[in-house]
Amino acid sequence: MMNLMGNPMIMKAMGAMMRGENPSDFLKNLANTNPKLQGLDLDNLEGTAKALCEKNNVNMNELADKIRGFANSK
Amino acid sequence: MGDSTFSGGWIFAFLIIAVLFGGGGLGFGGNNAAMAGFATMADVNSAINNQTTQNALGQIALSSQNNNYETAQLISSQNMQMMNQSNSNLINAIQGYNQLNSSVQGGFANVSAQIADLGYKMETCCCGIKTMMLENRLQDVQAALVASQNANAIASQSQYLLSQLGTYTPV
Repeated sequence: MMNLMGNPMIMKAMGAMMRGENPSDFLKNLANTNPKLQGLDLDNLEGTAKALCEKNNVNMNELADKIRGFANSK
Repeated sequence: MGDSTFSGGWIFAFLIIAVLFGGGGLGFGGNNAAMAGFATMADVNSAINNQTTQNALGQIALSSQNNNYETAQLISSQNMQMMNQSNSNLINAIQGYNQLNSSVQGGFANVSAQIADLGYKMETCCCGIKTMMLENRLQDVQAALVASQNANAIASQSQYLLSQLGTYTPV
């Protein structure tokens, strides 16, 4: 879990989530300064996440479990 | 933080972030390029070791604090003992001084009594001397009186004899 703590983007998202921010708004704000997020459909996060996982050959459910595990450990 | 925390699409936001900005190495679905950037097991072990070191440092700091506290307590206790000893010494010194003062006062009283007695004796002695001197003077006067009386007697006898011889006319 220490590796996730060391990722500034993950930690920034954790902070936004704990403050009760809207995830789409959070990513849209990030997209203003980060080219990796630009061009994505940030109003449909589920569809975008699935598409990115498929494109990068990532098992979305497994990765989601890992993220939940990390969050639950906090 | 439970799974309910991910309601509203946060889990998908994390998935997007993990795929775009995260990395593999921890079983996040394989060591593909999209997962590059996450820590390796070596990084995790290093972090754990670092955490262990931090805990050890914390324990050392706590131990040091305890030692400092115990040292302060010991110093405080020793200071208290020294203060008590100093107070005891001071009390003993005061008592000794009081005893000495009492002894000196007693000595002075004794000396004063002896001086007074000596003064009395001197006065008595002086009185005796004066008396003796007066007695001597009285004896001298008496002797002078006797001598004068003898002289008068001799003069009277001389006048008588001279008158008998007709060479003396009484006034």
